[in-house]
Amino acid sequence: MLSKVISFALAGLDGIPVEVETDINNGLPAYELVGLPDAAVKESRERVRSALKNSGRKFPAQKITVNLAPADVKKEGSCFDLAIAVGILKATEQLTGADLAGIVFLGELALDGSLRPVTGILPLLISAKAKGYTSFMIPSGNAKEAAYIAGVQVYAAHTLTEVVDHLSKLAPLPALETAKYAGASPQDYNCDLAYVKGQATAKRALEIAVSGGHNILLVGPPGAGKTMLARCIPTIMPSMTFEEALEVTKIHSVAGILSEEGIVSLRPFRTPHHTATTVSLCGGGNRTIKPGEISLAHNGVLFLDEMPEYSRSALESLRQPLEDGVITVTRSGGAVTFPANFMLCASMNPCPCGNYGSADKICTCTPAAIHKYRSRISGPLLDRIDIQVEVDSVKYDDLVSDAKEESSAAVKERVERTRGIQRARFKEGKVRVNADMGEREMHEFCALSRECEEILRLSFDRLKLSARARARIIKVARTIADMEGAEQIAPAHILEAVSYRTYDNFN
Amino acid sequence: MYTKEEKAEIWLDSFHLDYGKKARLYQLAKHPLELARRFSSLRSEIEKIVGDAMCNALASSLETSEYVNGLMQTYAEKRIRCVSFSSPLYPELLRQIPDSPFVLYCRGKAELLHERKFAIVGSRRTLPQILRTAERYARDLSPYFSIVTGIADGGDSAVIAGALASGKLISVLAYGFDYVYPECNRVLLEKVEKQGLVLTEHLPDEAPRSFLFPARNRIIAGLSEGVLVISGGEKSGTRITADYAYSYGRDVFAFPYSLGVESGIGCNAILKEYAKLTDNLVDIADAFGINLTEAEEVLLTGAELAVYNSLKDGEAHISEIAERTGLKQHEISSVLMLLEMKKLAAPCGGNRWAAVK
Repeated sequence: MLSKVISFALAGLDGIPVEVETDINNGLPAYELVGLPDAAVKESRERVRSALKNSGRKFPAQKITVNLAPADVKKEGSCFDLAIAVGILKATEQLTGADLAGIVFLGELALDGSLRPVTGILPLLISAKAKGYTSFMIPSGNAKEAAYIAGVQVYAAHTLTEVVDHLSKLAPLPALETAKYAGASPQDYNCDLAYVKGQATAKRALEIAVSGGHNILLVGPPGAGKTMLARCIPTIMPSMTFEEALEVTKIHSVAGILSEEGIVSLRPFRTPHHTATTVSLCGGGNRTIKPGEISLAHNGVLFLDEMPEYSRSALESLRQPLEDGVITVTRSGGAVTFPANFMLCASMNPCPCGNYGSADKICTCTPAAIHKYRSRISGPLLDRIDIQVEVDSVKYDDLVSDAKEESSAAVKERVERTRGIQRARFKEGKVRVNADMGEREMHEFCALSRECEEILRLSFDRLKLSARARARIIKVARTIADMEGAEQIAPAHILEAVSYRTYDNFN
Repeated sequence: MYTKEEKAEIWLDSFHLDYGKKARLYQLAKHPLELARRFSSLRSEIEKIVGDAMCNALASSLETSEYVNGLMQTYAEKRIRCVSFSSPLYPELLRQIPDSPFVLYCRGKAELLHERKFAIVGSRRTLPQILRTAERYARDLSPYFSIVTGIADGGDSAVIAGALASGKLISVLAYGFDYVYPECNRVLLEKVEKQGLVLTEHLPDEAPRSFLFPARNRIIAGLSEGVLVISGGEKSGTRITADYAYSYGRDVFAFPYSLGVESGIGCNAILKEYAKLTDNLVDIADAFGINLTEAEEVLLTGAELAVYNSLKDGEAHISEIAERTGLKQHEISSVLMLLEMKKLAAPCGGNRWAAVK
């Protein structure tokens, strides 16, 4: 007899419906699996056989043919186990009376018949829902993640027996209740600006950067607290909306790094090690194309600690996604587009020995060595970093002082107000924050008074800024003006924006 | 173009002979022209000085006029003007020193050699606020002097930045024109060649080597009526320049430094021995009987003045400035940028600032 069961395969962030056809014929016992399965799918035979036996069902001693249709799409992973097992049960008439039409089966089987969670449930469910499927059978380990999809019936089972009993209506499972999404608050993060002592200049720069969506470079001696500051960035970013959280969860789900909560409500903070390769940053892989660090940092922060230590090619690969907010990874298996809209935060030492600008330690680097060190970050990449700020080495007195520092919650409130001003300004356009402004928006929203122009001209003259810094400075000045609620960019805003060009200003 | 005497001097200088051998050849025949004329009769003595192979090379180069013509053409192609000992352009002050170079290879405005000259030298590691001060000194002295310096990061670069606009600037190299060292100064060097003068005692293919730099410093000292040392550590090359200048009987000036400033140890050392303490441009001007034109007063607004005054006691962190002035930190950032544009303040790194005196 022939049976047909629906499952889904993952291609990037999209799901493709896969029909699992099972046919049982008389003949020598055999098991044929066709339809471009990879090794993990092929091995499903052993898992299915044991799981059926250990659930008190029979694995038929006949010739079994399983076809995964469409036959020209490569199938990967272990999420077809459940569909195959159910297909065999149906084809061998061990599952009478059950109507499998329209139900999507996803899950990996353990030898004892229990169900193991699989990666990518959320994107699979979302694309299945878009294709009109409304009923799902999934492992209970994926229940939390799946619960955020509204308008569908999701049944989460612990074992194959539960699935069979549910399908044959012996013991129907309750459909999952849709979970309500609650955005994260600063208290949910591990760090808080309140614990960062001093560093007023850097904190101010962080606030500007987050308010206007600018990328930021923290320059400071080792142990100054650059990483701690960077870790505070997500705490002052506006809370993620449900849509944003879903996008992030999809990516993390595909990468298999989803935590217990099921949905990512905290803004991601990714810190790839400086030995990271281009592929690990941008995404790729041999057969399955997995998202890279920049996609995992989508809607959050990508923190590159000690930026000059990263390989040149890895850094250069960030340029296009920084501009477009997406990355298209092309491999022999096909091309996949992952979202990669992240805020870049980089840190570096001011010079090879790290002591340049330190109050008490002596820098032993020659100016030429400092130039060489700083030139490891290419101009075009630096061009995409609007704010460069120096982080001070911390004095012991500062560390133990009880001076009250502003909390992340207070800063976040201001950031949300500034973001609101920008939303009202850009309305429905592609531009959401000041940093995204193109020539047209700058022309419309960044009119400069003659006095401002004069200051800008002077600062280029006197401070030997690079020409491409101009647009950066104006955008940052726009954000500073927004933070004050000012309609017009004032000279003080321009001047402060100029002061965040430490890097260009090295003589 | 070149006279016969000059051509002979350039000819003799083109053989990579070291200074001592050249000097002995000069002694032998009073002048290279004489040497060339009486080459065959002097041959045995020349051979004793320069060796067999070199002597043959010298002899064969004299057989036709091709060698010298080729030399002239090469120099012309490289835009090099040779100012040799018998050239009217050869600076008188440099002639007076014990081991003056036989030929100066010049690029740029060689006529600057005729002007009064004053050297300003500093080490590569110089405090940012001192760099600004040096820049101003170079600018303000350039109407009266051609400013002589080397070409390197830090002190030299600041001096060049100050004097370049006036065009009265002489940079002395320690290597030939085929090289640029350090490479990152290529653009700067080209600017000086275009607007001022670059000179060296070395043939174009002489590569930069460390021992050539102290010898270069004798030319900087020898060219100048006076030398101002803006900075220098314990073993800085500026110390060598100052010592040469002192031994040539030139005026040496130096900035004073407070205790514990490493880039100033050398300055304080020469101040103890012979240099004149300089904390004002007038100190230099008076020594040469120059009346400086009054610098125009820079007007400061209330906040600018407050921030500037808060830097009176030396380097301060932005948070310290905030404490002293009562202004917010980001307001101070704006004011400091204004002050920097007016060249009254300089960033020292790590959010610390210093006033430029």
